[in-house]
Amino acid sequence: MRVVVKVDGLRYAYPAGVKALEDVSFDLHEGEILTLLGPNGSGKTTILKCLLRILKPFGAVYIDGERRWDCLKQRELAKFFGYVPQAHYPTFPYRVRDYIAMGRAPYHGMLSLPSKVEYMRVEEVAKMLDIEELLDRTVAELSGGQLQMVLIARTLVQEAKVLLLDEPTAHLDVSNAVKVLDAIREIIKKGIVKAAVMTLHDPTLTALYSDKVALVKDGRVVAYGCPEKVLKSDLLNSIYGVSFDVFKRENRLIVLPLGTK
Amino acid sequence: MRSLFKLAILFSVPISLIISIFLGRYPVNPGEAVRAILSIATPHLVHSPPETVKTIVVLYRLPRVLAAAITGAALAVTGASLQSILRNPLVDTYILGISAGAGFGAALAIAFLPPVPIEFVAFLGALMAFFITFSIAMLWGKGSVIAIVLSGVIVNALFQAGLSLVKYLCPDPYKLATVTFWLMGSIGAAAFWNKVLRMGIVVTLCAVLLYSIRWRLDILSLGDEEAVALGASPIKERAMVVAVCAMAVATIVCYTGIIGWVGLLIPHIVRLTVGADNRDVLPYSMLLGASFMVVADDLARCLTSTEIPIGILTTVMVAPFYVYLLKRSAGVWR
Ligand SMILES: Nc1ncnc2c1ncn2[C@@H]1O[C@H](COP(=O)(O)OP(=O)(O)OP(=O)(O)O)[C@@H](O)[C@H]1O
Ligand SMILES: [Mg+2]
Repeated sequence: MRVVVKVDGLRYAYPAGVKALEDVSFDLHEGEILTLLGPNGSGKTTILKCLLRILKPFGAVYIDGERRWDCLKQRELAKFFGYVPQAHYPTFPYRVRDYIAMGRAPYHGMLSLPSKVEYMRVEEVAKMLDIEELLDRTVAELSGGQLQMVLIARTLVQEAKVLLLDEPTAHLDVSNAVKVLDAIREIIKKGIVKAAVMTLHDPTLTALYSDKVALVKDGRVVAYGCPEKVLKSDLLNSIYGVSFDVFKRENRLIVLPLGTK
Repeated sequence: MRSLFKLAILFSVPISLIISIFLGRYPVNPGEAVRAILSIATPHLVHSPPETVKTIVVLYRLPRVLAAAITGAALAVTGASLQSILRNPLVDTYILGISAGAGFGAALAIAFLPPVPIEFVAFLGALMAFFITFSIAMLWGKGSVIAIVLSGVIVNALFQAGLSLVKYLCPDPYKLATVTFWLMGSIGAAAFWNKVLRMGIVVTLCAVLLYSIRWRLDILSLGDEEAVALGASPIKERAMVVAVCAMAVATIVCYTGIIGWVGLLIPHIVRLTVGADNRDVLPYSMLLGASFMVVADDLARCLTSTEIPIGILTTVMVAPFYVYLLKRSAGVWR
């Protein structure tokens, strides 16, 4: 399978001197969902921000063939990566329709505005994600799950090739979490986006929805590969300090946390 | 509902303008006022009203009402823009110290540097004030909402102290009187056609600039990280917006003194009533700001036998709302 994003030796320290990433490398293949799994503060969000060049790390990221991501204009990079930040409500209560349309920003300069055609695209995407009825509400009125879908819609309107999602299931109940993850899987299967990197905290959902898993600890990728290979009880134990029972049931991997003993 | 509010705001401007022309110490009835204005445009067609009425309406009331409208519009549109780019509904040029900076610059120019254009020094003062406010907030508060408000308070106080110092050191009693009078804040000082014209040109220019980047302001209001992820360059673009706002407000401050709070409250009312998108917030803030300031100025000149400084009036009118907003926003200050 073709590599769409190649991450090679990212190192990053926050201005305060906190070393957040020591040496992060992994490949993202076309058609795959890669999940970054690791404890709080291990560096998952930092990895996503480095890919987006919100933070400027050492090392290299090669996108779409062999182009280095720091050779691109920020605007060009924004056409490649679509960012779904950890859900937070925007300061101002924009209408959902306008909020999704903001995904078109990389295609406009300072002075231009989204066109009618682009607003029609907003409706198409909303229809596809089944959130049409939200379009005329304001963002402030949405539930956490709805906000998450709206943010995903924004990246689709953005025509991003690769989605970067930071804890897309945080604060969601099980049904909404599954709905969001199903939606992500669906848009990748349909080829609307090529691949996705997301962060999760639930190992069982990780096993269910990931094609590849990268275990992150203290700013390093300590294991990388398909879920069967990476989600092993000894590996997880060494990362979380919690013992796990990992087993297969009807060909599905189940990861059960047992306790700190 | 939204279109109803839009209509109401739209109509509030001509209504407040027209009513204000009749209001004042010298009674002018509506027919006379309209004829006085028309007689300037078409001197031969209209039966001219008495010369006194004409003078009062055309030389005093009309420029005064327009000066108030321009001032209100400028304060509101800059407030709305700054709120967007700082992702903070609790700021305006006054809170951020920009107005005090402009005031300091203008006072310095009036008192010590006569040959330099006052507006230019005020503009430099405004930019300097914002730069200090923002640096303090970034260095010690990571640019958070509360850090920006607090460092604005500090910078505001600093430049107010600078103003006092300028007054104290001012060698020329005539200039001292000019500075003192102007500092109290009064639309009356701006109520001359040449000043109205200058204010009008600068404010129109700035408003057009801000309106033309209205969608960009929306994008920047998502915060730096999301704006970068959407391909924007927040630091550069924010600096441009601040420069434009500083220019508008510096001009206003030069003529009317420092007027606070209006720029903070008006955009907030607009967001609540007609929506948060800047394509609505900017123009309707200008309109509502204009009619609000016209009414405030009517109160300033008609409420008592002597004129009340407008800065005092707007503060009294707006402060309760600010307390309410502060209370409502307390939850998001983390
Ligand atoms: N703005 C910042 N300034 C300084 N240090 C930071 C900053 N953001 C994160 N860090 C530090 O960098 C490290 C990695 O943080 P990061 O947010 O990437 O973790 P994470 O894996 O996303 O955690 P979580 O699961 O809690 O979201 C942590 O030690 C954190 O304290
Ligand atoms: Mg995180």
